[in-house]
Amino acid sequence: MNCTRRNFLIGGSTTLFFSGFFAKISSASMQKKNLIIISLRGGMDGLTAVPVIGDKRLKKLRNKLILENVLKLNSDFGLHPKLEIFHKLWQDNKAAFVHATNIPYTGRSHFDGQNLMETGAHIPYQEKTGWLGRGLMTSDIIGKGLAISLPMPLLLRGVPQNNNFFPSPDFVQTKLIDSIYNEFSGEHNELIKSTLDTIKQRPISMQIATDSDDRDKLAKEAAKQLKNPGGPRVAVFELDGFDTHAAQGGVDGSHADELEEVNNIVTTLHENLGNAFDNTLILTLTEFGRTIKQNGGYGTEHGYGSAILMAGGLLKKSQVYTDWPGLKKRDLFEGRDLNSTLDARAVYNSAMSICFNKDPDYLRREVFWGDDLPNLTEDLFKI
Amino acid sequence: MSLNFFRRVAFGLSPNDKKPDDPLAWALNQVNTVPDLLWPGSIPSEKETRKKYGEWVYGNRKVLRKKFKNDKDAYKKAKDELRIKTGERFFELNEHAIRHYQTKYSSQPVFERLWLFWGNHFAISEKDSLAEFSTGPYQREIIRPNMIKTFEDMVQAVTTSWCMIHHLDNSESVGPNSKRGLNSRDTINENHARELLELHTVSPSAGYTQEDVIQLAYIMTGWGHKWNNKELETGDIWFDQEKHQKGEKIVLGKAYKNDAKRELAKVIHDLATHPVCINFVSTKLCRHFITDEPTLEMINPVIDVWKESDGNLIEIHKEVLRQAFKYNDTTHKFHPPEVWLMQLSKIFDLNIPLSSDRMKYTFELKPNKRQRQLSWILREIGHSPYRAKQPNGWSDLEVDWVSPELLLRRLWFASIELPRLVQNVNYEHDFILQCLKNNFDEHEKMASLIHQFRFGTTDNDLGRKYGIICNLPGVLKV
Repeated sequence: MNCTRRNFLIGGSTTLFFSGFFAKISSASMQKKNLIIISLRGGMDGLTAVPVIGDKRLKKLRNKLILENVLKLNSDFGLHPKLEIFHKLWQDNKAAFVHATNIPYTGRSHFDGQNLMETGAHIPYQEKTGWLGRGLMTSDIIGKGLAISLPMPLLLRGVPQNNNFFPSPDFVQTKLIDSIYNEFSGEHNELIKSTLDTIKQRPISMQIATDSDDRDKLAKEAAKQLKNPGGPRVAVFELDGFDTHAAQGGVDGSHADELEEVNNIVTTLHENLGNAFDNTLILTLTEFGRTIKQNGGYGTEHGYGSAILMAGGLLKKSQVYTDWPGLKKRDLFEGRDLNSTLDARAVYNSAMSICFNKDPDYLRREVFWGDDLPNLTEDLFKI
Repeated sequence: MSLNFFRRVAFGLSPNDKKPDDPLAWALNQVNTVPDLLWPGSIPSEKETRKKYGEWVYGNRKVLRKKFKNDKDAYKKAKDELRIKTGERFFELNEHAIRHYQTKYSSQPVFERLWLFWGNHFAISEKDSLAEFSTGPYQREIIRPNMIKTFEDMVQAVTTSWCMIHHLDNSESVGPNSKRGLNSRDTINENHARELLELHTVSPSAGYTQEDVIQLAYIMTGWGHKWNNKELETGDIWFDQEKHQKGEKIVLGKAYKNDAKRELAKVIHDLATHPVCINFVSTKLCRHFITDEPTLEMINPVIDVWKESDGNLIEIHKEVLRQAFKYNDTTHKFHPPEVWLMQLSKIFDLNIPLSSDRMKYTFELKPNKRQRQLSWILREIGHSPYRAKQPNGWSDLEVDWVSPELLLRRLWFASIELPRLVQNVNYEHDFILQCLKNNFDEHEKMASLIHQFRFGTTDNDLGRKYGIICNLPGVLKV
């Protein structure tokens, strides 16, 4: 095992570089920057997506889940073969990974975990807004969130006038709105009226019926909107099905199917964003990783540490960023899960800082209650 | 008094309903008894559907996962067959039909609206296969009969129900000093205790601490499903002394001495009669029926009645109705998609739900398209009732229901799906006018907006008419 612990900037040293932060962002802040979050519900297995290839223990513990044709990243880590686009972007310094990371949640409930990955809090169901919504709000970016789902996801709540795109099964004649619009008078009808305005101002492409089960079409439309200089700056995608307790498989199992979905979304975004991809960050979000050891059904159980997949031109370079905890039994969380050595919220906080042109320390205080989150802007992103 | 009172506290008036002379008396008279369920088709018991749930879980987890560990396609196929055999794809559809039928035809529609409220207050959110098998029966058997008892009775019944215990993981909670805890080093799961405080009774404004949550969780240890190899987690609820935390517990400053299974009833009594709980739930009732931001003038009379009647739900419901009546013409309340759909179904006598004969299921084939229709509509308009994302249930606030897509989905339903549900005999324009007249004071204004389409009776024409009518502010709201 030649995978050694890597050090990164933590704690006190962050303040050292603050002085230069605003100077650096001011020149770059003219361009619109996009932040795209893909929620991976069910518990994404970081060790399937970004396997550690230098450690024989993984193969031993998962002899039925062995990955063949792993794409090579570096001497320590590989990439699941279904994540082709990330591998391609890696060559251009436009893909990177954070490993052995998780939100600060060690219970193994999907619901608590998913609630916390969206609120960014410590106690499930305590907060009613999402960290992304609060980040937008505190950065005065209003009406620039786009959810690719039917209700507004918790992640985006906390800032008004978000748009969402998840078309109904048939074409809806939005000209019907003209017949009812003027009836919405009075203060108590303002919210609906302004939402009808949002609908009326939508580009034609967003008014056309699409099969909402067709993620490719949804992603294409999202890219088109994000590319528009006056369009949304934040988009949220939802994927579920990562809870693979059985037949998880290796190259072709059920977890691979889910990773392929991620790959497809990122591929579509990359193709359709064009040059805007260079001013974009795409990050995944999940509630926890999965156990190292396979279970009786050749799947895995709920675990702890996972990985964040990242793509986009705002990344600093291709790297697997980690303080690798190791896979020896004593290194595992509760003797069974990959540990988390980095609070995933530090990555999201730093990403918001880059995309919203805000001091990371300010965001940390306003969005994450001043929690001790290292500033990773300089390590992970272009500033 | 404006006609919208019949939609504010119920589902409006159907073409066959006679307008009640005294609307308040009409409403008050509906909450004294629990109306029978009218659905002529199958109404399985909670226990029966739980048995099917057990067959599904056992078959999937213990049999299929092992049998097809190397073959995901064969696994998927076998799983789909098991879904059909256990009714995993059917029971929820049937429950939606039972529920919709009840709200449409009950002679006590006000009671039915309150039923929806309490089912959502004690929400079972989307978890495991609860929506598929158990949430509907839970709402029928646990929520409904307790609506004429006290709030405390309701909390007791809910807290020890299989559905809520499974939903909030209390079976996995073990007192660390209990016999089991000492042997296994297992410990508590706080989930259920936290929600009992936060969502079901006193709410965070009671100022409880994390230690209160832990102490309440200790009291609740031992309450869980009886596990065996065959039923797995679907066994009946019992109190397992071997998991119960020994010793005194202190919740919100009050000590509960070691008293095994009796501790829970005592603490629930104190929580359900706590002044902050009374305030919290009274406010929630007023918010549901009157306005998103109820005032103290609306809430206080409900609190007073609650205290005077020792939490008698019949009396509490009546006071809420009096306040809803009092403020009917001066407040506005937005209705979530499911209530809106139920109202349209009743007001325009739409052809849903499917007849009970055609809803019959033999556990041999996938439910057909017509059997899935109502549930599909509910999902498409964004309000599949047993699938709230979190244990706090569906929001009661307009702001949570107004997104561009959610409004577009209502336009979609009214202009495209609804025309297919209009009964043949009701295609004439006069029918719509009569329905509007029955339910809306401003019916003439509404009629004028669709006057230009009056001669059309094709689906397209009906789509224009209903698309407009159903999305007017006075229809989305009262």
